[in-house]
Parts: sequence; structure tokens; C-alpha cells
Amino acid sequence: MNKNWRWLPAGIVPVVIVTAAVSGSAVAEAQPQLPAKTAQELLEFVATSTDDAYSGTVEQSSDLGLPDLGAVDAPGRTSSSDPTSMALELLTGEHTAQVYVDGTDRARVQVLDQLAQRDVVVNGNDVWYYDSESNEAAHAVLPDKAAAKAELEAKLQEKSAEYPELQDLPRTPAEVAEVVLATIDPGTDIRVDGTSRVAGRSAYELVLTPEDEATLVGSITVSVDSETGVPLNVTVLAKGQEEPAFSAGFSSVDFGAPDADIFEFTPPAGATVTEAPTADEARAELEARAELEAGQAPADAPAQMPAEEQQPTVIGEGWSTIVELPAGTAGGLGLDLGTGDTAGMGEIMEIKPGMDPDEVAGAQALLEQALTQVDGGRALQTSLVSVLITDDGRILAGAVGVDQLVAASQR
Amino acid sequence: MAQVRPARGRRSLGLTLVVSEITVLFRRLRTWAMIGALALIPILIAVVVRVSSDGAASGRGPAFLNSITQNGLFVSLTALTVAIPLFLPLTIGVVAGDTIAGEANLGTLRYLLVAPAGRLRLLLVKYAGAALFCFVATLTVVVTGAIIGALLFPVGPVTLLSGDTVGIPGYFVRLLLLALYVTVSLMGLSAIGLFISTLTTIPVGAMAATAALAAVAQILGALPQLEWLHPWLFTNYWLGFGDLLREPIVWTSFADNALLQFGYIAVFGTLAYGRFSTKDILS
Amino acid sequence: MRSAHDERTAREGATGLAIETRGLTKVFGRQRAVDGVDLAVPRGTVFGFLGPNGSGKTTTIRMLLGLAAASSGEIRLLDGAMPKDARAVLPRVGALVEGPAIYPFLSGRANLQRFDAADRHTSPSTRNARVDAALERVGLGHAAKKRAHAYSLGMKQRLGIANALLAPRDLLILDEPTNGLDPQGTREVRNLIRSLSDDGTTIFVSSHLLAEVEQMCTMIAVMSAGRLVAQGTLDDLRSQGTARVRITTPDPADARRILSGLGLVPEPHGRDDVVTAELSVPGLQSEAVNAALVRADVRVRGLEVSGASLEDRFVALTGEGFDVAG
Repeated sequence: MNKNWRWLPAGIVPVVIVTAAVSGSAVAEAQPQLPAKTAQELLEFVATSTDDAYSGTVEQSSDLGLPDLGAVDAPGRTSSSDPTSMALELLTGEHTAQVYVDGTDRARVQVLDQLAQRDVVVNGNDVWYYDSESNEAAHAVLPDKAAAKAELEAKLQEKSAEYPELQDLPRTPAEVAEVVLATIDPGTDIRVDGTSRVAGRSAYELVLTPEDEATLVGSITVSVDSETGVPLNVTVLAKGQEEPAFSAGFSSVDFGAPDADIFEFTPPAGATVTEAPTADEARAELEARAELEAGQAPADAPAQMPAEEQQPTVIGEGWSTIVELPAGTAGGLGLDLGTGDTAGMGEIMEIKPGMDPDEVAGAQALLEQALTQVDGGRALQTSLVSVLITDDGRILAGAVGVDQLVAASQR
Repeated sequence: MAQVRPARGRRSLGLTLVVSEITVLFRRLRTWAMIGALALIPILIAVVVRVSSDGAASGRGPAFLNSITQNGLFVSLTALTVAIPLFLPLTIGVVAGDTIAGEANLGTLRYLLVAPAGRLRLLLVKYAGAALFCFVATLTVVVTGAIIGALLFPVGPVTLLSGDTVGIPGYFVRLLLLALYVTVSLMGLSAIGLFISTLTTIPVGAMAATAALAAVAQILGALPQLEWLHPWLFTNYWLGFGDLLREPIVWTSFADNALLQFGYIAVFGTLAYGRFSTKDILS
Repeated sequence: MRSAHDERTAREGATGLAIETRGLTKVFGRQRAVDGVDLAVPRGTVFGFLGPNGSGKTTTIRMLLGLAAASSGEIRLLDGAMPKDARAVLPRVGALVEGPAIYPFLSGRANLQRFDAADRHTSPSTRNARVDAALERVGLGHAAKKRAHAYSLGMKQRLGIANALLAPRDLLILDEPTNGLDPQGTREVRNLIRSLSDDGTTIFVSSHLLAEVEQMCTMIAVMSAGRLVAQGTLDDLRSQGTARVRITTPDPADARRILSGLGLVPEPHGRDDVVTAELSVPGLQSEAVNAALVRADVRVRGLEVSGASLEDRFVALTGEGFDVAG
């Protein structure tokens, strides 16, 4: 009369599922056995990597301790192609992209949003950008490769006469590796730290650990495919944070030439197509504008600083380098300079045509929360990077704590 | 009187019960009312967009809404986006929640079991009926959308999310895949509904509980604090059908979704079996 | 011993019990709805299962049919163990359990087709013919295409009986088959049961109506408060009853004294000139009572012996009255 066995499947199935899930991730985490390599050997290996045709899925995620802006967006939201919101978007949450690469001149990156997609297609000299949500396409023509290369070579020749040390440019992978090792900040511990599995492939783990106490960066790990030498994953750990502050890598990869059709792009009927100026046109336009401004500007305008003073200043070196943008930059970004007046925060992000005012307001509110009042300005502290906006309009940024930025600003 | 002898001893596959289940399901007025309500979604969307033809609602509203005026075939997609979070789970909740509880409430359950239908077999047949309803419901939204879109707007080759263009036949293949995707998406919820339905003899309670669970899962899915839980929610891939509208098609969400839904079917299917096979039928 | 038990049940199968239970018990919480019931229903009988409402009849039937699991005890149905052999046994059993159940949105015919399809032993090719035959047999042929929600209570009841008759059955279990039927319908059902019984089908009819059972059945079992209080042929049960004597006399006090002297227990009665008592002393006949009264010069206007009425017997067994008329 005991019918309890009929409940048995209901007991077994969850156990099987949990076991499968756990063992699945255990397999993924199992470290493959690979011949040992030194950092030098591994970098050489990367430099020799010839596999330049592949496709795969790239997952990118950031956890900088910022409020998640993605969370305020409803499903089916409008992703703006506006640079400010795009940058904010990349700093928070997770993204998935399909990547197709065939040689150096054909590539396609598809950023997969929910019910939307952004594509960048490079095919020879043609570059297309397409945003499915706004149904907008942009087209640009790259300068001719051969001509550009010849120009570069000529410049190199010219410069190498000036700087003899350029003649020692690395030619072999081993030389490249040496240069990289030498160039990387000496205050960095660089070593191959075991192996891992990435996208179902065995990989070496190249770990860069700053010895600098001041920096927020804990370590950077690059997973290098053991067969092809292609970097498969990059993870940045912040100090005092267990989850990676930033991570990007393949969740699946296929080393084979993608279908040629993938790189063919014709803007769909009905899409708004913008033609980007060529490099020459852009240069000409910039020059024309500079001339115009120089002609119009009153000679005694105090805001108009000499061009060289507009250059950012670099303070310190290595991992704790701080970049200082001079006064006026903040205003140029649309920042209000009112000292600590939070009402002025409304100006941080401009409402541009095509942007949803509500969305901008929401993002601003979050940014307002993120900014804290510090001595001499307002600061944004993330787990990896800090930004200080001083009351006199300078912006300081670096992979260090806010106190260091404050100290640097009062220098 | 001439006695008609049934074939004794030989057991047929029992497909007739599946046919019977489907017949009973689609002879109910309630079923057609729900299908009608689902068909109303694309019709409403198309008519509203047509009437308020100022068009430039620039980026607001559900996905694909702005593409409708250019290509009527997009009505299907907009309607599906609108129907997935609420209306489809609601109707599936009604059908899945009714499976066992409805028969128990009518008292017909005891006659099916005495026939004998076999408890496991009845459970499987009931689930098959709910699954078919999921497909019919999804197809209703998609097909009605295509028809009303074609009637009210120009139609032509369809622009995919990647900016590539497919012809109308290719688009219909994708719509069919889409309907399949959404059907698979709803299989986990159907299994949950089936299980809840074995717990009670009050069908309305089972229906409400099932539909409420769909809402709860979506709310949990919107909370970033519960990110660790998200891959385990049956609603997690509900809006992932967009991956079928890319070129090339991204199959990972289809596969992940199928695996997840299969997990839900396994767990709640065995729970339903455990419950139903040991249950005293007292109604 | 298990093997000895199997042997015995096999032998009994050969002697022909259609239903057999041993110690059948169902406990709901603290309540023992069915308590140690040992039923033995011989094949070929029309067996009445009698008991007041709530005495555990329907619960017993649910357990017989595998709808509910017994808390303890064993059930054999047509020589198969229930619920283990349900798949083999149930196709040979037709049942009406706790009234008919219908899909109101389907026609009567479609309702039967649905239930027939649930049994995978039935042949789809003969389904329509069998459904129509069953409908004709219960007199629903004319209403076959009508939606069942428009059926009267009696029609629904007939539909429920038709469902039990979809295939030739070895055993019919009919729970209150005449519920909701008018006298004409009741008569028809009685005739139907008789003709089915003549075909060799064992019929197990539960009822709370004594008269109905008395008219149809050759054997009965009586349930009371979850227990089986009597089981046997109608004649057996009648003979177990005690006769009563009823004396009409102008000297009731004397009569009572004489009866008490004989060892009987006179009962109070509404009329002053009537004295009644059970003939509860073994061997004491009514003529001896009369002789004793006459000897004591008690004037006897009338003396009446009422034979063992089943109703009295059941009142004695169950402590409750039956709706004799229904």
C-alpha cells in the first residue's frame, strides 16, 4: 500500500539537475594540463599568433560599484547611440556581442541587445554602423590601406632619422615580447599563473599584478588560447572586490573563416543613412572651423586659452598615473560649475534631440547620487577608477583613490 | 440487441485520448474567447497606429512599433512583445491550471480514471493539450498580426535587427521559428500549472496561482539584486526571441531556453506525477 | 502466509467472487470513514449495498475502483488486486460513482465518446456504434446531440448509466443509480439491471433506499458508520429478525404483567389499549402468549404477529430509519 515511491522521480530530478549544473561548472573550471610557459614565452606565442579568422560570442561585464543604469530601463527600451549614454552603458551591467573576424580588413561586431542590435561592419575600406532601434545607419570610407601604409612607412623613415632608437623596432615575436615586458611598468609583477578553460578551450593565464600600493587595480588576467595564442578573456580585479570589476571574453569561439556574406552590408530600405566625411574632408573641416573661431574670437577673451594649455597634464607614473584636464573642460562637457550646488547637476548631461528626457533625468539622478562632495570639488568613486571635478572646473581622473586625486588637485 | 464487442486485450497507443483532449479543449467557448482576445492585441495595435498616423513617436513604446508604418509585417512582432509578459501567460495559466483541477471540479476526472485512462497517461495527455494551446495561442498573435498588418500597411522585405533584409517567405520561416520559441518558452509555465492543478479541485485557484507565478518570476527577473537567480527563472529568456531576428541567427538563447524549460518540465512534471498518482480522487 | 493467502484467493476466484475486500479501512484524519469492511460479492448476483448517507458506501466504492487508496486492507476485483491490477481489471468494470459527471459544453454523445476514448482497450472503430447503443439502452437516443447542460437531472443520471454500459462489462458498480429519476425512470433502471443480470453481469448497487434494494437485489450488505454490520441473502437477514406481538386489550396493565412473566419486555405504546413486545424469548411462540393471556382472564380483542420486517431489522442494525418511499 506504500505509494511513496511515486514521489521518487520528483526527488531525484532536482538532484540530477543540481549535480549536472555543479559538475558542468566543475568541468568548466577544471584546469587543463598544458606544457609550462614563462611570461616571455607566452608573449612570444601571442605575437606569433596567426589565427586571424574566427567568430564567437563575447560577453562583457562591468561591476564598478556604480548604480546599475540598465536597471532603470524598461525592457524594449531605447538604447541611445549618444556617446554619453553609450559610455555609461558600457560601465554598467552586461553585454553580449557576436564577433566575426576574417583577416585584418573584414570584421563584424554585433552588440546584442534585447529585441535590438547594433552592428559595426568593416569590409575592406567600408565601415558601416547600424542601430536597429533608431533604424539609422552610418557609413564611412577608410583611407586606402596601401596608401596609408606607404605614408606610415615614409613617416617612419623620416622619424627614424630623427630618433635612432626607432630603428630597433621589434621585428620578431621574441623581440615584441621583450619590448612588451620592458615597456610594462617595472612596478608590475607579470607571470603565467596556471591554466583555465575559456569558451571550451584550454588557455594560459597571464596575470599582471601592480606592486604600486596606491592604485585601485588589483590584477589583470589575460587568458591566452593554448593552441592559437589568441587572447580569449581579459579580467580586471579591483582591490578589495571579489567579483571582477571588468571582464570581457569569449563565451564561445570558432577558429574558422566566417561566411563571407556576413561582411556584406547594405543599409535596409527606410533607414536613415549618414555619410561620414572621409579623413581628408574631416581634416579640412576642422581647419576651416579653427580659422573661423580664431577670426571671431575677441583678442582679450579670458576663457580662450592658448591651444597648448588645453592639453591634459599627466601626474605621477605607472599604475597610479593621474590625468588632469585643465579648467574649462568640465564646462565644455556641459557641467555646471556652481560650487556644490546640486541644482546645477541638471546640466551634467545635455538633453540632445532624440534622447528621452525622462531617461536622461533618471540617469542624472543616479549620477547625482554617485557623486560625493569632497574637499574642493565633487568626486565619483568606482572600484577601479576615480574622477574628481574640482570647483574651478578641472577634471582629474586615475586608477587611484579619491584622496589621491584631491591631493594632486591641490598641488 | 446486437452486442458490439470491443477489441479486448489489445491496447491501442491511446492517441485517441489526445485527440479527445484537443477536441474537448477546442470545443469550449472559453478557449475561443481567449484566442479571440489574443487576436485582438495585434488588431488593436495595427488600428491605433494606422489611425494616429503621425508616425514619429520616435523610440517610445514597445519594440518594433515604429517600423509598423513602413512594413505591416512588424505588427506580429510588436504584438508578440506586448503579449509575452502578460496576456500569453494569463491564457496559459487558465489552460494549464484547468488541466486536472477542471476535470476534478466537473467530477469527470473520476470517470476518466475509472475508464481507465491511467493517471500518468492522463497527465501526459493533459500536458500535451496545454502545449498545443501554447502553440496555437502564439500562432494566433503572429498570424493575426501579419494579416492585419498586410491589410492596413504596405508590406515588403523585412529588415532584421542586424540591418540585413529578408524576403517575405524567409520572414515567415522566422515567424514560425518565433512561434516555436515562444511556445517552448511557455512549456515551463505549463508544467508548473499542471502541478498546481493536481493540488486542488478549484480550477480558478490553480489558474490564478499559475498566472501569478508568471508575474512574480518576471518581477524577480527585473530586480538586479537577484541577478544570481535570473538564469534559473523560467521567464528569463521570454524576450530572447529577438535572437531569431538577427542575421546570422543566434541560436544560443533558443538552446539555453529549451534547456531551462526542460528542467522546469522535469521538476514540475515529476512533482505533478508524484502528487497525482498518489492523490485520492474524492470529487 | 502470503502464498497460502494467494492460494485461497485463487480458489475463491474459482468459486466466483466478483468483489472481495478484507479489513478495508479508510482513515481521513481522525475519522475512520470505512472501518474493517469485509465484503464478499458472488458473481452473477445483484448485490445491494445499503446504508444511510455518510455511512461510508461511496468511499468504499472509490477504493474498489482505485480512485482512493485504502489506508489498510485488501481489495480483489474480478480476481485482480486493486489498485495494482487496475489497468487489467477496470476495462471490465462499468461504474457510476456518486452521481453522473458531465462536460456541460459537450453533447451527451460527445460526453460518452470522451469517456470511451479514455479507455485504451476500446476500439475507436466501434466507438460510435457502442455509444449510440448505450444511449438507446438508457432511453437517451433522442437527446444524443443535445448539449448536456440542457439535460434534466434524470437525463444526466441516464447518461451516467450509459457510460457504465459503453462496453460489455463483467461487473457494474452503480452508486445510487435511481437518484433523480421519476418512478417511470426508476422502473426502467430496475428492468435494465434485471436484464443485465440475466446476461450474467454481476451488479453491485449502492443505495440508501431499502425498498429499491429489496426489489432488485438477491443479496445485500449493510453499512453503518463505516462498518459492515450485516451481509447475506435477503432471506437470511429476514430470518434473523425477531417477530413482534401486538395485543389489543381493555386490560393493558394485566397484559403487561403477563408478558413480563413470560420473560418479554412490553414496550410503551401511544394507545392505551395496545401492548407490544418483541418475541425475544427463544422458543416462545405467539400462541403460547395468547394462551397465557386467556388463562389470566385478560380480555384480548386482537392479537397480531408482525413478521420480521427488514426495515425493523435495519433500524436495529444502523440505529437509523430509511426513507422507504424515497
